[in-house]
Amino acid sequence: MATVIPVDMWPFLIFCVVVFGLLGVMLVASWYIGSKARHGGAQDIPYESGIVPVGEAEDMRLSIEFYLVAIFFVIFDLETIFIVAWAVAFEETAWLGYGAAAVFIGMLLIALLYEYRTGALDWGIKRRVYEPGRYAKVDSA
Amino acid sequence: MTLTDLWVSFPLIVLVGGTLVLMIGVSIVRTHKLALGLTLLTLILSVAAHDIALENITTGYELFGLLNVSGIQVFFNVLFLLGAIVTALFAYPYFNERMERCEEFYILLLTATAGAMVVAAATHFASFILGLEILSISLYAMIAYPRESHQPLEAAAKYLVLSAVASSAILMGVALVYAASGTMAFAELNISPESGERSYFLLGQALICVGIAFKLSLVPFHMWTPDVYQGAPAVVTGYVATVSKGAVIALLINYVQATEVLSYTGVFYAVVFVAVASMIVGNLLALLQTNLKRLLAYSSIAHLGYLLIAVLVVNTARPELVLETVLLYVAAYFIITLAAFGIVNLTSEHATEDNEQMEAYTGLFWRNPLLASVLTAVALALAGIPLTVGFIAKFYVFAAGVEGTAWALVWALLIGSAIGVFYYLRLIYTMVKQVEPGAAALPQVGTQSVVAVTVLGLLIVVLGVYPTPMIDMIRTIVQASGF
Repeated sequence: MATVIPVDMWPFLIFCVVVFGLLGVMLVASWYIGSKARHGGAQDIPYESGIVPVGEAEDMRLSIEFYLVAIFFVIFDLETIFIVAWAVAFEETAWLGYGAAAVFIGMLLIALLYEYRTGALDWGIKRRVYEPGRYAKVDSA
Repeated sequence: MTLTDLWVSFPLIVLVGGTLVLMIGVSIVRTHKLALGLTLLTLILSVAAHDIALENITTGYELFGLLNVSGIQVFFNVLFLLGAIVTALFAYPYFNERMERCEEFYILLLTATAGAMVVAAATHFASFILGLEILSISLYAMIAYPRESHQPLEAAAKYLVLSAVASSAILMGVALVYAASGTMAFAELNISPESGERSYFLLGQALICVGIAFKLSLVPFHMWTPDVYQGAPAVVTGYVATVSKGAVIALLINYVQATEVLSYTGVFYAVVFVAVASMIVGNLLALLQTNLKRLLAYSSIAHLGYLLIAVLVVNTARPELVLETVLLYVAAYFIITLAAFGIVNLTSEHATEDNEQMEAYTGLFWRNPLLASVLTAVALALAGIPLTVGFIAKFYVFAAGVEGTAWALVWALLIGSAIGVFYYLRLIYTMVKQVEPGAAALPQVGTQSVVAVTVLGLLIVVLGVYPTPMIDMIRTIVQASGF
C-alpha cells in the first residue's frame, strides 16, 4: 500500500465557502440590482432590434452533417490523444506497446472503413438515399 | 506479456476479433442472416476458447494486474455468452420484421458481452470502470435500436442520463477511496481504523455502493427499471435484465471478498437496508402492474434483493456456500428471465408494438398451450415453487441466510416471496381464463424462437426436478477456485 501524505483540509473548505458565497451574492444581487424586463412589445422577439423572424423553428431543416462532423472531430481527436500518449512512452513500452498501438490503430481503420461504407462521411448527396426501403418496414410512430 | 496471458485472455480476444470481423462484414455486405451467423459463430468460438483458458488456470490467474480469471469468472463468462446467443436468436425475427438495418445490433451485442466479461473479472477500478462503460454504452444504443419508434428512444434517454449519474457516483467514490488508500486494486483497498482518511474512505465506499445498487436496480435506486424495461425492445430488456446485472453481481461478489467492505458496520447496515427494501418494495409495487414487462421489472428488483442476502452473509457463512448460492441463483435467474422476455418478444414479432399488456395473455392456455406452459413454468419459477429451478435457487439463498444467521433478511425473503406468489399466480390465472368472444387474435409466432423458448422452459423444469448435475458442477468450480 502506498503511503498517504496527510493534507490540511481547511484551505479547501474555505475555498468551497468562498465559491458558494460568491455564487450566492451574484444570484441574489443581480435579482435586486438588475433591471426588470418589461415583457410585451418587441421584448419577446428573438432579435429585439433586428429582423422580424419569419415562420416556425420546426420548418427550418438543418443538415445532420454538422452534427456528424462534430462527432467525428471529437472521436478522432480523442484517438489522437491516446496515440500521442503512446508516442511519448515509445521507448519504454517497446515492442509490447508497439503491438498494442498497432492493434488500436487497426481497429480505428476498421471503424473508418465502416463509417465510409455506411455513408457517414458523405457530404451533400447521400449514396444511401438510393438504397430502397431503408426506412422501417412497420411505421410504429 | 507471456503466452499464458494470451491463452487466458483468449476468449476475450476471440470475442473482440469476431466483433471486428463482423464490422468489416457489415461494411462490405449487409445481410441480416450473415450478421447473425457471424455473431453466433463468434459467441460459440468464445465459449469454446474458455476451454483453452481453463487449462492455463489453476485456482485463479492474474491478468496484467487488472483482471483475475478463475473458474468462477469462466462460469459467469459462459453464462453471458449463452445469454448473448439466446438474445441473438430472439433478435433475428424481431428486428427482421421491423427494421431495414439490423446488422449493427449484433456488433453492439458483442461489445456489450465483452464489457460484461471484463466487469465480471475486474480486480482493479480501472478495468471495472472500463468494462462497465463498454457495457453501458452498448446498452444505450441497443435500447434505442428501433430508432423510428417513440418508446425505445425515451427509454434509452432515461437510461443514458440515470446511468451516467450512477457512473459518476462510482467515479467520485473511486477518487475518494484512492485519495484515502493510495491504490485502485481491490485486494489492497484496506485502511486502518485509526487512520484519519477513514471518513472519506467510507464516503467513497458508500458512493461506489450507490452506483452498484443503481446498476442492479436495488430499491432506493430502482426508479429507472420499470420505464427502461417497458420501453426497450423485449429482446434487449431480457439482455439488460440478465447479462448486465449478472456482470455487476459477479463484480460485487469479487469486490466484497477482496476488500471486505462489508466488515464496516455502516456499509453493512446500509446494504441490509437496501436488500430488505428491494425485497419488500419490489414485490409490493409488482402487485399493482398490469403490464407484463413492468411486472417483470419489479420482480427482478425483488430477485436482486434475494440475491443480495447471499452477498451479505459473506463474512458469517462459509465462503464456498456463498459462492455456490450466487452462481446457482444467477444461472437460474438467467434461464427464467430469458424465457420470460423471450415469450414477450416472440409474441411481438409481427406486431407494431411489444405485446406487453397482461390482457393480451388472457386465455393463452386455450390458444397456444405450449407458450402458456412455458410462461407458467416461468411464473412458478419466479415465485420459487418446488419442481422448478427457481425453488432450488431460493432454497440456496434461504440456506445461506440461515447459516449466516441473518434472520431479518430471511424474514424479508419469506414475506417478499409470500407477496410475490399472488401476482405470479394472477399471471397464470389470466392465462387460464376463457377467451372473450371477439377478442383480438393472438399474434403470429415464429418457429425458431418457439424452439429457443421451449428449451429454456424445459431447462427450468428439468433443473428443478433433477438439479444434481448443475449443483455438482458449480461445487467443483467453487472448490477448484480455492474455496
